[in-house]
Amino acid sequence: MDGIWLWISFALVSMATHFPRGSFIVLGQRASLPPAVLGALRYAPAAALAAIVAPGVFVVEGALQPFNPKFAAAIAVLVVALRWKNPWLPFIIGMGVLLGLRKGFGF
Amino acid sequence: MNRRFLAGARSGFRIFLPLSIGLIPWALVTGVALTSAGLNVVEAMGMNLMVYAGVAQIATLPLIVAGAPLWLIGLTALALNLRFLIFSAAIARGFRGMPLRLRIPSGYLLIDGVFALCTERMLTVHDRHWRFGYFVAPSLWGWLLWQSFVLTGVLGAGALPQGWSLEFMATIALMVILVPLSKNRSMLVAALVGGVASVLLRDMPLKLGVIVAIVLGIVAGFAASRAMAEHKKET
Repeated sequence: MDGIWLWISFALVSMATHFPRGSFIVLGQRASLPPAVLGALRYAPAAALAAIVAPGVFVVEGALQPFNPKFAAAIAVLVVALRWKNPWLPFIIGMGVLLGLRKGFGF
Repeated sequence: MNRRFLAGARSGFRIFLPLSIGLIPWALVTGVALTSAGLNVVEAMGMNLMVYAGVAQIATLPLIVAGAPLWLIGLTALALNLRFLIFSAAIARGFRGMPLRLRIPSGYLLIDGVFALCTERMLTVHDRHWRFGYFVAPSLWGWLLWQSFVLTGVLGAGALPQGWSLEFMATIALMVILVPLSKNRSMLVAALVGGVASVLLRDMPLKLGVIVAIVLGIVAGFAASRAMAEHKKET
């Protein structure tokens, strides 16, 4: 996708970001959501993140392949992110594992 | 600009400064991810100024680059940004008494870290000048840091060698956000169902599987929280 379509999709993502962000701040006292809806919406970010991350980790060239270098790297990231607060470490360890397996062992 | 505004600005800046350093690796990674996806400097910074939301940018890029239909790109971004709807609803009363010309840019600037740190005093402090300073100083600082380090990442990415699987840094970035969310049991259910469904449904046309997976994840998370509440009542 290039040219004008690229910018149209940026504009769309921009609207999809700033309508929710601005919503209640801009509307002020005039709006509120029912608690049940707010409750269900809490799960949207986790579900969306997992739905986007999972195929990138488990699928190799269109086929389900659970044991691949990306999976090993993802496990390493998971362990690091659970144990340490350092914001750089998951990137260093995750990329280290992935590149080590790919370049060092030829996976 | 009056003295109460400046006092608020100083307090807000001081409380956000340490946490704001955590934005730097994110911004660098986002810059590298934008470039690895094939955007040039103008496109990358254009998107970055228009969207100003790292997660939505990194996560929609594969869809944008793959030529997915616009409504799917829009819906995916919306799903990822629904947390902002909740933030916005929660902090809205903190902007009471402020004119629209201040509330609109405040909406654009709202980010997770400032929301998490500033909401409580925004709701309790009476003086609206103090409140605006308290919100806008850390928000502008976060914006400035973010834009500068994304630009650094965009410019630096060209110097990095090819074939280093750098696009995986985007996956790592999304995982790092997902991990603390999933410490809550029903959130974990939402994430597991969303992830598994997305892998199983990957062959659906138009990448529709992503949206179906997100909806299934939301339903599963909501059902799990209900079930756990019931269980608690019984025992």
